[in-house]
Amino acid sequence: MDFSLTGHQQLVQETARQLFTRECPTTLLRGHIEDPAASDPLWRHLREFTPLGDGPLTDLCLFLEEAGHVAAPGPFFATTALFAPLLAATGDERLAATLAGDTTGTVAIAGTDGIWLPNNDPVKTFVPEADRVDWVAIVADGPVLGVVDSPTIRQVHTVDTTRRFFEVDVEPDVAFRAIDADAVEAIVQRATVALAAEMVGTARRLFELTLQYAKERVQFDVPIGSFQAIQHKLADMALDLERATSAVQYAAMTVDAKDADRTRAVHVAKAAAGAAAKRAAKDGIQIHGGIGYTWEHDLHLFIRRAYASEYWLGSSEWHRDRLADLLF
Amino acid sequence: MQLAWSPEDEAFRAELVAFLDEHVPPEAAGGFDYADAADRSGGELLPDWARAWQATLFDHGWMIPGYPPELGGRNCTPVQTLIYLEEMASRRVLRSFHFPGYAIVAPSLLEFGTEAQREIVPAAIRGDTVWCIGMSEPNAGSDLAGLQTRAEVHDDRFVINGQKVWTSYATIAQKCFCYVRTDPTAPKHRGISTVIVDMDTPGIEIRPLRHLSGVGGFAEVFFTDVEVPRENLVGELNGGWRITQGSLAHERAGLWVDGVARLETTIEGLVDLARRRGVDRDATVRRRMAELYERAASLRALGYKGFASFAQGSSAPEHSFMKMATSELSKECFEAGMQLQGAYGAVVDPDRGEEQGRWALGFLTSFAGTIAGGSAEIQRNIIAQRVLGLPRGT
Repeated sequence: MDFSLTGHQQLVQETARQLFTRECPTTLLRGHIEDPAASDPLWRHLREFTPLGDGPLTDLCLFLEEAGHVAAPGPFFATTALFAPLLAATGDERLAATLAGDTTGTVAIAGTDGIWLPNNDPVKTFVPEADRVDWVAIVADGPVLGVVDSPTIRQVHTVDTTRRFFEVDVEPDVAFRAIDADAVEAIVQRATVALAAEMVGTARRLFELTLQYAKERVQFDVPIGSFQAIQHKLADMALDLERATSAVQYAAMTVDAKDADRTRAVHVAKAAAGAAAKRAAKDGIQIHGGIGYTWEHDLHLFIRRAYASEYWLGSSEWHRDRLADLLF
Repeated sequence: MQLAWSPEDEAFRAELVAFLDEHVPPEAAGGFDYADAADRSGGELLPDWARAWQATLFDHGWMIPGYPPELGGRNCTPVQTLIYLEEMASRRVLRSFHFPGYAIVAPSLLEFGTEAQREIVPAAIRGDTVWCIGMSEPNAGSDLAGLQTRAEVHDDRFVINGQKVWTSYATIAQKCFCYVRTDPTAPKHRGISTVIVDMDTPGIEIRPLRHLSGVGGFAEVFFTDVEVPRENLVGELNGGWRITQGSLAHERAGLWVDGVARLETTIEGLVDLARRRGVDRDATVRRRMAELYERAASLRALGYKGFASFAQGSSAPEHSFMKMATSELSKECFEAGMQLQGAYGAVVDPDRGEEQGRWALGFLTSFAGTIAGGSAEIQRNIIAQRVLGLPRGT
């Protein structure tokens, strides 16, 4: 099993790192709280990378890890990790325009129970960015697919100010067509790993902010990072981050290879990413102390993103329960 | 990134598998389960079949495949070494019952030893010579550099006085790779030397210690005016601290595959135990088993990722995490095995309870992992200071 990055993969990673660092400062995230259009300039830079939505998941994950590192808002995740793969798997004619970056879309599957399995619920929920994309692809029991352009939607507010979720009403006049059940499962798996990659990036940001702070903050005349209590917390954060990063890369490889271990690997990846993100968030704020408790400090932007992602596309506990179904 | 190795590397695996199918002795096949090596050897630290098996591996170039044939290998690539460790671990085949010789002494002598010292390396790897490592002392555990066993330096010899403790294999070893203080006036890291001590030298007294699980295995070693020829010095006089760093690195770099494979086997055993106990529909039990599985699986991925950076020449910080994480997870797994047995969790009575105490004894044994070779707390210090670049405490 070879985890080394190819030259192409290194390029994807480096390109993403530079682009997101340059184009998505935390001032953009704060502007986005008041007006989601603040993310439009970022999208104009990301449009050319939408072909990642129909390429290897390993490449998309490397890119999204950097998106998570800056908690990037906007339609990129919904379009490349959900919408484009669904179009590709179902032979939808909108794919070409989507991969060209001319069209954006999102996907609605979960009913009001929040579980991402096809269902007959007339209301779909946790649909990302549904108000600002061109298309909403609705998957219902059958499974069937209907793509609509302006459904009735209501925002579902979470702690996260960087990703916006919506309820979507499934109107009686939606033109559904039958699609392959395996394709739906594969798309949800793919999106789950993609989200886990993003979460690893967010966890890495929380970790980096905290590590830097521990080196700089002086109390009792020494940097607090010289205290063993702080060092051990950071070592544990680093371990969870490292193992989650690796689990996500492994899961992406198994999905690309349609390997027999992929279902387990996907559950492991999301649960491990959740563990890393939650620990980075909790210990991160604790190590920051009072300054981390303020609105002015950027830490909370990433803590919010981490926690909302933890509960989207299956929480850590939900994925462990599915994993248990495969173990027993 | 890809799941499959190259055809040449898979051919290497096939050759190994063919060798194992033909040569693995029945005692070594299906090897480690829940208990450690000593438990499976009928109380004997080093049974004859284990000696013969290690020699067979050496003679066929399968003992340390990355080394040349004269050192029990076949000059294979780093990837092939990983494949070797994978295959041995997944088949639960132990290559040796005593790791100090091949894993610590051999690489250290190859790097720091004189020509004459390098000549005794093959016997260390083949297992013909059993080695112990004289490191820990009653007052030098985590603070290894504080060791006090004293070696007076004469023109032609050292004279050693002092005591080592927790010395594994001392009761059966012919040689000791021993860390001694040769300059008591220098700062503590700069006054340590490494010497090779023959264990039959007059003045050495060995008192066996039993592990808390009850089995034998390590010992106290007392040195009283033990005379060691000057040519037994390894590396430079007062340069021993560098060698301790090297030897522990050898130990840590290759053990994760084995550690992860043991975890996976243990977790399979837990799932099976839960079924036999009739608690496999219990939501709490299921979630707990899945969590243990998730952690082991992600550690396997981390090990591979670390290997990829190691193979590309990076210092691979991932390896620093593996020992700490696998040993702590191992403790949790064995404790979970006790919990699954309810009131019978602590029972070791062979007439009561079908597990016969293997989880409870495994739990007691598993503490070795978070203490020996650098405690989990020291590992965290190392990660914080060397990997994360945090300042040392005062």
